[in-house]
Amino acid sequence: MKTSAFLLAALLPLLAAPAARAASCCAPALPAGEPLPAASLYQSEVAFTTDAGAAFTLADLRGRPVLLAMFFSSCAYACPATVVDLVRIKEKLPPALRDEVLVVMVSFDVERDTPAALRAFRETRGLPADWVLLRGENDSVREIAALLGVKYKREADGQFAHSNLVTVLSADGEIVHQRAGLSGGLDEAAAALVALQTLKH
Amino acid sequence: MPLRRTSPARPRLPLLALLGLALAALAPALRGGEAMAVIPAGAYRPIARATTDPEIVPVTAFRLDVLPVTNGEFLAFVTAHPQWRRSRVSPLFADETYLAHWAGDLDPGPSAALDAPVVHVSWFAARAYARSLDKRLPALAEWELAAAAGYDTPSGRDEPAFTRDLYAWLSAPTADPLPSVGAFRPDFHGVRALHGLVWEWVDDFDTAMVTGESRADAARDQNLFCGGAAASATDPGDYSAFMRQALRSSLKARQGTASLGFRCAADLPLPPSAP
Repeated sequence: MKTSAFLLAALLPLLAAPAARAASCCAPALPAGEPLPAASLYQSEVAFTTDAGAAFTLADLRGRPVLLAMFFSSCAYACPATVVDLVRIKEKLPPALRDEVLVVMVSFDVERDTPAALRAFRETRGLPADWVLLRGENDSVREIAALLGVKYKREADGQFAHSNLVTVLSADGEIVHQRAGLSGGLDEAAAALVALQTLKH
Repeated sequence: MPLRRTSPARPRLPLLALLGLALAALAPALRGGEAMAVIPAGAYRPIARATTDPEIVPVTAFRLDVLPVTNGEFLAFVTAHPQWRRSRVSPLFADETYLAHWAGDLDPGPSAALDAPVVHVSWFAARAYARSLDKRLPALAEWELAAAAGYDTPSGRDEPAFTRDLYAWLSAPTADPLPSVGAFRPDFHGVRALHGLVWEWVDDFDTAMVTGESRADAARDQNLFCGGAAASATDPGDYSAFMRQALRSSLKARQGTASLGFRCAADLPLPPSAP
């Protein structure tokens, strides 16, 4: 009796280990509540860290419409323009919706964009406190880029060549609109957010 | 290296000899693709690079599966991970081509032999498979470094026998059904079928931006002159590398094709602490 209890105790971690690994590798476990739509990005379990150093997954965004862009903080050309565009899209929204929309920026720069670097970026750009700044390891960044259709590549000088995409996500994490390039398209992005709001009511 | 067209009137005898070799090589394939080979550290030279790209990408030593993942191995994966079965997979991670050639969810069927490479798998699925074995997909530079090896030397481009086999494959349509993964001669590192069977996913496939710089979204035309890539190429003779580059840049992560499979890689275990 004693032996079997001991054996069980010894075996339990062994039994649990593969299950835990399976869950972390590929089981898109649905959160409690309503099931996610089939195309929801929130099924992805990629792990990020906020500029405050807190753990973050995409599903943490659930419940609010999202404006999402990828960037890197030492970027001199496209990324400052993207920040300005995100602000301008928000300004085009009716005030009630403006407060509801969450702006999320995810860094490509696995090496240099530490939480501290992201905090510095927030400060120098004067970003609002409710903007979500995220960093991740290579694996996570690759996956979110693939989910969004963003191509990127680190260049020899440490800069990144990358697609410029601003993505509008529904409250359930579905891509409802993407604005490509660096000029125009702001009205359409704002309209996509307004349309989401209309759908809800 | 001169680019030669393979003659359509090849003698049949070598083909038969190859078949014999294939049968002899079948045995290890049936044992499963667990084995990995060590690819020593080296340097990958990107074939077409922008002025901002490095001339040489150093690659640290790593491990690479000797064989591509087979239908049999992928069947074991979807059996253990139901969310990756064809009928259940999220459209986020795989489009409607996913395992399209299989007879059923857990039945590869007649057009997907168990010892043939699995194809019609998305990048997300390939990654999930690798992670389930505590492995990963090889990086583009790692894959290319390994694939540069010939049969007898680390540089296949200098081996006539190797380049002949390579270009014979490139000029032929994809075999249907695909043959066993074991029917291939091991290369210098002991790896098989990097060429000659299917194309393979790499982890950073989406860095292959043929327009060079997608920041130029607004002025794309100037990047699309035909021949632009070849003109700036470091080795215009490496035709197969161009084909891979073109293929990768055309892929989407949710997509699979009838001639695209994958194999896994892993970091080398840290060497035991020095005595």
